[in-house]
Amino acid sequence: MSVLSLRTYNPVVKVLAPVPAMIVSIGSRDLWTPALFGAVALVMLLVSGGLRGRTLLAVLFGPVLLVAVMTVSFGVWTDPARVDHTIALATLGPFTLWSGALEIGLATGLRVASVVLLALLAGLTTDGPDLVRSMISHLRMPYRIGYAGFAAIRFVPRFRSDLEIIRLAHRVRGVDGGRGPLATGRRYSGYAVPLLAGAIRHGDRVSLAMEARGFGAHRTRTERRHVPLRARDAVLATWLLALCYLVPHLSGAL
Amino acid sequence: MRMRALLHLDGVSVRHEIHDDLGDAAWGPPRPRNVTASLTAGEVVLLLGPSGCGKSTLTLTVNGLIPQVIGSHLDGTVTVGAHDTCAHDTDALDTRGLDTRDTPVPRLAAEVAMVFQDPDAQIVTATVLDEVCFGPENLLLPAAEVLERAEEALRRVGLWERRHDDPAVLSGGGRQRLAIACALALRTPLLVLDEPTANLDPAGVEEVFRTLREVTAGRDRAVLLVEHNLDAAIDLVDRVIVLDAAGRVVLDGPARRTLAEHAGKLVELGVWLPAAASAALRLRAAGITLDPLPLTPAELATALDAITELPALRQREATPASQQREATPASQQREATPAPQRRGAGPAPRRRGARSAPERTAIGVRGLSVTRGSARVLADVDLDIGAGEFVAVVGPNGAGKTTLAQALAGVITTRRGAVTVDGLDPVTADPRMLAERVGFVFQNPEHQFITSRVEDELGYGLRVRKLPDDRVAARVGDLLDRLGLRELRTVHPFLLSGGQKRRLSVGAALVTRPHVLVLDEPTFGQDAERAAELLALLDGLHSDGTTVVVVSHDMTLVAEHATRVVVLGAGRVIGDGTPDEIYADADLLAAADLRPPPLARAARALVNHPGWHGLTRLADLPALAPAP
Repeated sequence: MSVLSLRTYNPVVKVLAPVPAMIVSIGSRDLWTPALFGAVALVMLLVSGGLRGRTLLAVLFGPVLLVAVMTVSFGVWTDPARVDHTIALATLGPFTLWSGALEIGLATGLRVASVVLLALLAGLTTDGPDLVRSMISHLRMPYRIGYAGFAAIRFVPRFRSDLEIIRLAHRVRGVDGGRGPLATGRRYSGYAVPLLAGAIRHGDRVSLAMEARGFGAHRTRTERRHVPLRARDAVLATWLLALCYLVPHLSGAL
Repeated sequence: MRMRALLHLDGVSVRHEIHDDLGDAAWGPPRPRNVTASLTAGEVVLLLGPSGCGKSTLTLTVNGLIPQVIGSHLDGTVTVGAHDTCAHDTDALDTRGLDTRDTPVPRLAAEVAMVFQDPDAQIVTATVLDEVCFGPENLLLPAAEVLERAEEALRRVGLWERRHDDPAVLSGGGRQRLAIACALALRTPLLVLDEPTANLDPAGVEEVFRTLREVTAGRDRAVLLVEHNLDAAIDLVDRVIVLDAAGRVVLDGPARRTLAEHAGKLVELGVWLPAAASAALRLRAAGITLDPLPLTPAELATALDAITELPALRQREATPASQQREATPASQQREATPAPQRRGAGPAPRRRGARSAPERTAIGVRGLSVTRGSARVLADVDLDIGAGEFVAVVGPNGAGKTTLAQALAGVITTRRGAVTVDGLDPVTADPRMLAERVGFVFQNPEHQFITSRVEDELGYGLRVRKLPDDRVAARVGDLLDRLGLRELRTVHPFLLSGGQKRRLSVGAALVTRPHVLVLDEPTFGQDAERAAELLALLDGLHSDGTTVVVVSHDMTLVAEHATRVVVLGAGRVIGDGTPDEIYADADLLAAADLRPPPLARAARALVNHPGWHGLTRLADLPALAPAP
């Protein structure tokens, strides 16, 4: 397994090590800090993420789009009193577009995009079950909690299809409280009882089946797949922590 | 050497907590009641009894889920694992076994493995291999042994090649085989299966029983099986234990002899016999005695062939519905389209030439196509259903049966003009108008419950139509009596039993007196008794002139009740005819992954009585008195 692939790194390290960088990026007041963090995360993803197809396109263009949308919308919505000392770029009737407003939008967009990209370092290169395994062995999380999480994830598609059928069933019986948020709210509260009754029963059955297969017999379980914690993980963590020092200094110099 | 019991039940009674009208808790009557029995290695034991006698409850005591997890009251003792693990030192070993009352459930997992009814509710992990490893991992076995056990178990059920798949992509039968593999991987001396095929289609049932036959062939463990489908189970089991309605053991003995000698008593108890035995009992009443009582289709055929002369089959009574059928285009279509051309991916069968319009068409479908995402669920379906028909829609999983039924009742919207129900287009019609023409019953009754009282639930369809209260009350009262729910009219629908919920859901669809009733898998997951109850209700509606359309996997239901069978395959109609015609078409059955009901299989195996080849249902058998 290549050292160059982010997939070979420990999931817990990938999730936790970028957190300080995210905090520094959110707390920054300039444009360069979040831009540099975002750029570093993007390069890491492109070089070591092994991304393909739609995911690759989304990673390449998603942040750009996000920054653009936030720049424009902040440019329009920022309180003019805060930015009217900056340059007026354009005037349209009573509305004036201030350069300061655009700058606030750009900074906010960059901060959000950098946090998203840093989170994607783990998000796009980690397998859910591996993260849980790693949390059990490296964070000493009780395995019951981890496996409850697994079971819960398997509920989601079932929930979705149940909800769809219940919606159809109620509609065909003539449940139609009319339009508007109030009626919709009432309609959905009508779905809650059958949905929950089904979910509770299903949950009970799953837990009986798990106990019948020895779940909880011992304080630990055999882990067939050991998620390693290696030197490369220390390197990754050091690099991400070092960025918290390097990036603000570098951007201060720019 | 002394045979040791792997499971010993001693005076076992279980009482569940019940709540009376005021919400006070009390212990209900014991079900099962005072059961004493032992299972030794190599035995495959079938537990039989009418529904509600406590069969499933008894299986839950075997691995301690009762009373440890489910807080029911257990009397008597259940002991497992008194097997000799060390043959040369048996006397020194502690052979008392483990009391399931106080040995923790997860510890008992090394002694007893369970397979439950619902395959979906037993899956925890994301791949087939992880799933099978889950149990041995819980027992803290070394990783190498976990893998070795998993491989052996998966190979035994034929899923080793699919070990990297997500269990969700397996068929129902495949998932239940996976559940069996998970049980095998625990390498327990005792295996307990609680209705493992109740939620499966016919292909899945066959798949699971094939696997069970292989698993039990070595007779190297004790197996306790609860199963209603005796036709599938009979050649698998060595011994039966029969409980009566009060939960007491009434019979315990070798399977074949017990069933054959006590068939009459079993029927009295409300236990369902294999179809061959039911047929033989009926023939006995008509003066044809088959001895010994046949238990499988092959035995029935052999026994009948041994008789030199058989009376003719009964002619079907010409009900108004079946007379109308003669006028419907479906019969022309069958003449026009020879069997071999009805299958495959070719265009849907078209009717040839000009045809006279049927007396009254209840449902007309023209060029109905439904796509979901990029998948084509229904492709250019044409179908006419005459008023008063009882139509069964059958076919393999994913053939589009439910989608077709939903389109007929306007549950899903389709292209305008594709469907006409009783003169209305479900797409454009006012939903409340439509509900007066067609009622739809969902597979899970709970999904369609809206109110919190049984009587409100029945009256709902009328109240949304703003009918005056006295008319609503009269109609609801009428239905409460008809469905046998009067005593329960103020109960919350979710607190009813399975059979009562099903009846209520049908009642709620009937309240507007629709001319057409469409039901999606109405007997799915229900035991034979509940299913029979529902079918009696449907037969009553049908004879009153209601058009009934049922989506079903239950081939006996189809044979005994439907006047017409529509076979779907990959979104197209690949067969359409009476049950006799469909069951006579072996190629069609194979293409649609269907199995004829046991009676039809026996009839087709007859050599000496060609006149009986068309036999598909009990009602066709000769009888002295007309069938009730």
